[in-house]
Amino acid sequence: MSAILTIAEAGKQIAAKKLSPVELTKTHLDRIRKLDPQLNAFLLVTEERALADARAAEARQMSGTLRGPLDGIPIAHKDIYNTAGIRTTAHSKLLEDNVPTRDAHTVKKWADAGTVMLGKLSTHEFAFGGPSFDLPWPPARNPWNREHFTAGSSSGTGAAIAAGLILGGTGSDTGGSIRGPAALCGIAGIKPTYGLSSRAGILPLAFSLDHAGPMAWTSEDCALLLQGMAGHDPEDPASVDHPVANFTAEIGKGVKGLRIGVVRHFFETDHRASDATRAGIDAAMDFFRKEGAEVRDITLSPAAEYHAVGYLLMINEAFTLHAPWMRDRFKDYGELFRDRIALAATFSGADIVQATRRRRVLCREMATAMEDLDIIVSASQPGEAPRIVDVAKWANMEKPSFTMPCNVTGFPAISLCTGFGQGGLPVSMQLSGKPFTEPTLFRAAHAYETATPWRNKRPAMVR
Amino acid sequence: MSTPPIDEATLRVLLVRAGLPHSPEQVKAILPGAEIIQRLIARVNAPLPREAEPALTFDVEQK
Repeated sequence: MSAILTIAEAGKQIAAKKLSPVELTKTHLDRIRKLDPQLNAFLLVTEERALADARAAEARQMSGTLRGPLDGIPIAHKDIYNTAGIRTTAHSKLLEDNVPTRDAHTVKKWADAGTVMLGKLSTHEFAFGGPSFDLPWPPARNPWNREHFTAGSSSGTGAAIAAGLILGGTGSDTGGSIRGPAALCGIAGIKPTYGLSSRAGILPLAFSLDHAGPMAWTSEDCALLLQGMAGHDPEDPASVDHPVANFTAEIGKGVKGLRIGVVRHFFETDHRASDATRAGIDAAMDFFRKEGAEVRDITLSPAAEYHAVGYLLMINEAFTLHAPWMRDRFKDYGELFRDRIALAATFSGADIVQATRRRRVLCREMATAMEDLDIIVSASQPGEAPRIVDVAKWANMEKPSFTMPCNVTGFPAISLCTGFGQGGLPVSMQLSGKPFTEPTLFRAAHAYETATPWRNKRPAMVR
Repeated sequence: MSTPPIDEATLRVLLVRAGLPHSPEQVKAILPGAEIIQRLIARVNAPLPREAEPALTFDVEQK
């Protein structure tokens, strides 16, 4: 199989007329045919659409009218992103035949940037219920070991990128659904600042926590993809009318002078991460120090505080959205989604007001902690991916999540691969920043990725 | 923090009140999740100052 390019590399080669978008697309379609039957990353491959997009990109290439670094790049969308005329199911029987008439705002923006759409990607049911084996389609599998979990809910996107089926894809993140699959599949994924990218046309899970963002093999590719999806959209009530930064502007500037705080208690005592995860973070901090960053430990409220607030709000908001269907089409839901969301019936209005009051306290706490910091570091996941059959129904609520704090606060956060654990699967860390400081996160992430060997290793099935 | 107890009978009543048609076996299967939720509820109900307002929105512009 030919080498898998990054988006940055492919974009440069397309601009220099050294790479044909049509040939690149055919290569990826071939790889999907060969590998996806083992991965279930795709719910639908849109081959005709992909080839049409690629031919249009190639025509622009030949006429010198390329639209930018995403023109001709093979991507796919998580199947909660509406695609006009193309089935959008949320991986659920309830929407098995749903064909939207409009693209989601971000789908249109990527299409306008010239991307080549290869299809729709597996998710957990309605971005929450998974890994499930009682839905119309099977769950995605981890390319590093097919017996293992991808995390969710952007599970197909994580698997498809790690296996080189696509160069980038969309994810959504309500409690960690971009950063979790990025971590367990060994790729990069960013949950941008709340309101930076529009959720209009994306099936919601929990309005106050939902974020749309990109996933790719490298953080630089995430920067390029985020550039193509960020911006104000009046159709999303949470969309912020804020100038869109140049997300690649700080890439290559190194980390000298950056102030980094490590929330060590999150992954050492609150929810102890694996030895490989903790060692990966320590090595990354040594690298940042050596390169001139100022690194120190900081203390926040226990991760369980953020987790409790986020989880209760999430299932409460999700239940509010799904209650009519839950009552009328109860049996059409998968067991995991149905049972997790049903728990919203057990708490009161006063509990929700308490959670929103505490949310304000936690938002202020994190903002105060970041006053003299540029980046906060934590784990992204507690360790390597578990076996998919060992993921318990209540696993995602029992122990505090490392990703939920940035859903509760709306701060941006990116997950990066920091190596491999004893089982040979990826481990990860998470960098988060102040609102709208994505360029600084990409700066630090790129410095780390280019100084370490992890981006040179793909899963054995694609080597 | 005390954890309010929840038992199968209480859970069944709450699900029925929400209009959800769980069978007795399904109610039993959800009980472990409901017990975890009770712990999360206890955590968010830890005392806050009376003047702590709900975060109906939050300010993403904060620096």
